Amino acid sequence: MKKAVVVAFAVIAASIVATAAHGGPKVAVASQSVSCSSTLQIAMVTPITGAAGFLGTEQLSWAKYAVSTLAPQMGLKIQLLQGDTPVEQGAAPALTLAQKYAADPKLVGIIGPSTSGDAEASAQTYFHAGIAQISPSATDTPLTYTVNGKRLGTPAFFRDVPANNVEGPTIAAYIANTLKAKNVVVFDFQEPYSQGLAASISSYLTSHGVNVTRLSAPNTTTDYSSYVTKVPGNTNVVVFPTQQPPAAQTFAEQLVEQGKSAVVFGGDGADAPAQFKYPGGYVANFAPDISGIPSDAGIVAGWKKANPTMTLGSFGPPTYGAVQIMLNAIKIACAQGKGTLKSRADVFHNVKKVTIKNWILGGTFKWSTKTNDPLNGHFYIFKIQSNGSYKLVN
Amino acid sequence: MSDRPTPSLSKHYPGESLQFFIQLSLDGLTIGSVYALVALGYTLIYGVLKLLNFAHGDVFMVGSFIGYGVLQALGGASNPVVPVWLLLVLVTLAAMAGCAVLGVVIERFAYRPLRNAPRIAPLISALGVSFFLSNSMQLEFGAQQFNYASYNLSGGALYFHGFDLDHVHIPLLRIITIGSAFALMVVLWFLVNRTRTGKAMRATSFDREAAAMLGIDIDRVIVFTFILGSALAGAAGVMFALRVPTFAAVGFTTGLKGFTAAVIGGIGSIPGAMVGGILLGCAESYTAGYWTTAWSDLVVFSILIAFMIFRPQGLFGRVDIRKV
Repeated sequence: MKKAVVVAFAVIAASIVATAAHGGPKVAVASQSVSCSSTLQIAMVTPITGAAGFLGTEQLSWAKYAVSTLAPQMGLKIQLLQGDTPVEQGAAPALTLAQKYAADPKLVGIIGPSTSGDAEASAQTYFHAGIAQISPSATDTPLTYTVNGKRLGTPAFFRDVPANNVEGPTIAAYIANTLKAKNVVVFDFQEPYSQGLAASISSYLTSHGVNVTRLSAPNTTTDYSSYVTKVPGNTNVVVFPTQQPPAAQTFAEQLVEQGKSAVVFGGDGADAPAQFKYPGGYVANFAPDISGIPSDAGIVAGWKKANPTMTLGSFGPPTYGAVQIMLNAIKIACAQGKGTLKSRADVFHNVKKVTIKNWILGGTFKWSTKTNDPLNGHFYIFKIQSNGSYKLVN
Repeated sequence: MSDRPTPSLSKHYPGESLQFFIQLSLDGLTIGSVYALVALGYTLIYGVLKLLNFAHGDVFMVGSFIGYGVLQALGGASNPVVPVWLLLVLVTLAAMAGCAVLGVVIERFAYRPLRNAPRIAPLISALGVSFFLSNSMQLEFGAQQFNYASYNLSGGALYFHGFDLDHVHIPLLRIITIGSAFALMVVLWFLVNRTRTGKAMRATSFDREAAAMLGIDIDRVIVFTFILGSALAGAAGVMFALRVPTFAAVGFTTGLKGFTAAVIGGIGSIPGAMVGGILLGCAESYTAGYWTTAWSDLVVFSILIAFMIFRPQGLFGRVDIRKV
């Protein structure tokens, strides 16, 4: 009996030691040096399923298109992996994927994560593994800026779209100066993206004499009746920075249900014409409609041919751009290593050397010298028309 | 889309505290009606089988999906091929029928083989069915939300039409939701209390063995109970999804709240389930309105614990006296 107890304790102790040794996000697996003529892997981390699945599906289609067209032109063989991070499950899937990709020596770069919460949760894991992430849509400011003494991103996190510190003032200025709202309700959904945006917008509006009421709802809310009840009857605009467009549509409908006439203003997370189409509403996004950019005609035509059932949206083109930057960084690293990628950290060290003329979103893409954001990023505002389509107004 | 008629509201609610209370009460009554229908299913099945059917919330979820499918098959909210009133009736009936069949299947394969097993066995089986249903639906349809888009029906008529009570707008959609729920409850009460089958159900609930000895076909009664309870869950699913998007995981929390409502009202009591549902809906709504939405679930389940400790038989239930 005594012997059995001792053995049991020994097994338990060994298990604890093994688990601790296996470790958490700080364990990094050094990548092996790999020939650039072999197939290299990059992964797209985005919500392919769930309420934000429309975003991930669009981004993934553009990532695939970019890899299939750009990689051969650059003499690279690239395999695109896909990692699904449904927003309803919080950051757990992103962290699991980060650990999996960090342990894969053949993986040299991440496109994404698409959401700010996922980016923040997985940033340290990727950084310690030396893996560059280029996000086409995670806009929370502290990912690349130090805010209140904290920076939630790492030197390995980049994005090719501007941050909330651009989106927030853009939205707020439009509300204050164009819509001339006097009473505004600002929501957040208890996750980094909306909290950062809500703080930025509230701060700007308050400083410009607008009366702001803050409300907060869990990300898992589906029935907004009680929140709508709390919206004062004299509210002109409700800022609703959700990452789930059906939520914005439901909220707008429930406002009408209670006889309230406030306009619903979504952030880039609500930009989904098929799901948020309440006439009179607004959304902001970091990308214009690229079908109006002449140099993109060939790209758009090619993407449409490869994806005949999909509609051109705003989230896909920045993803194409992110892949383009990543492939260029890989190419530079391969050239430096004379045909060998010595370490995947070489890729992330070369990301900021990439400049792209005829950038898919217009003009030339350059990095800011101060942060891992694009230089002179801009947000666009769209108004929802009576037929549910989006019209650029700012 | 038609222009919105201007509701008869001033910019600031005069007498705001009363209107706020009325609005919260309306919210509570609306969601409480859904909880009441779910609770009725729990109470019916418990009353006859002494089984807590934890799969019931997911039957509700399946009902909302069936309703969505039928809605799309009939042209969707933007272009229905039948009049709106007929569309709503067909969607509800289809969900009720589909869930009734599902209930029969669940009873036949997950519960009947365990009828004479220790009571923990069918309980575990019920949990298994619950997980099976929610994960199957998620595999099939994904985790995304499905919106009935009822706002688009008749150019928003379900939202704009209705009446105003002291400056609080009560839209047609809510009137339909609450009215339908009450109508179904009345039909159920009539079925259970005024028909032979209902009498058989009550007899089975009181003493299954004695009812069998008196010639009542127990299997048939139990199947009928599952049909009734599941059909009500299907109707609740449609009423819920007319206002709020549905998704594969919605059944778990709604089912728990339906169960809580059944306990509050007195598990096994039909009037209790109705009252429990309304009370629960209002408790949730008042907490969200006067305190914080973050605590509304906490309050709801605290009420459950309080009832279990201080009045386990619920508001309308009977204290169980056993002869020893």
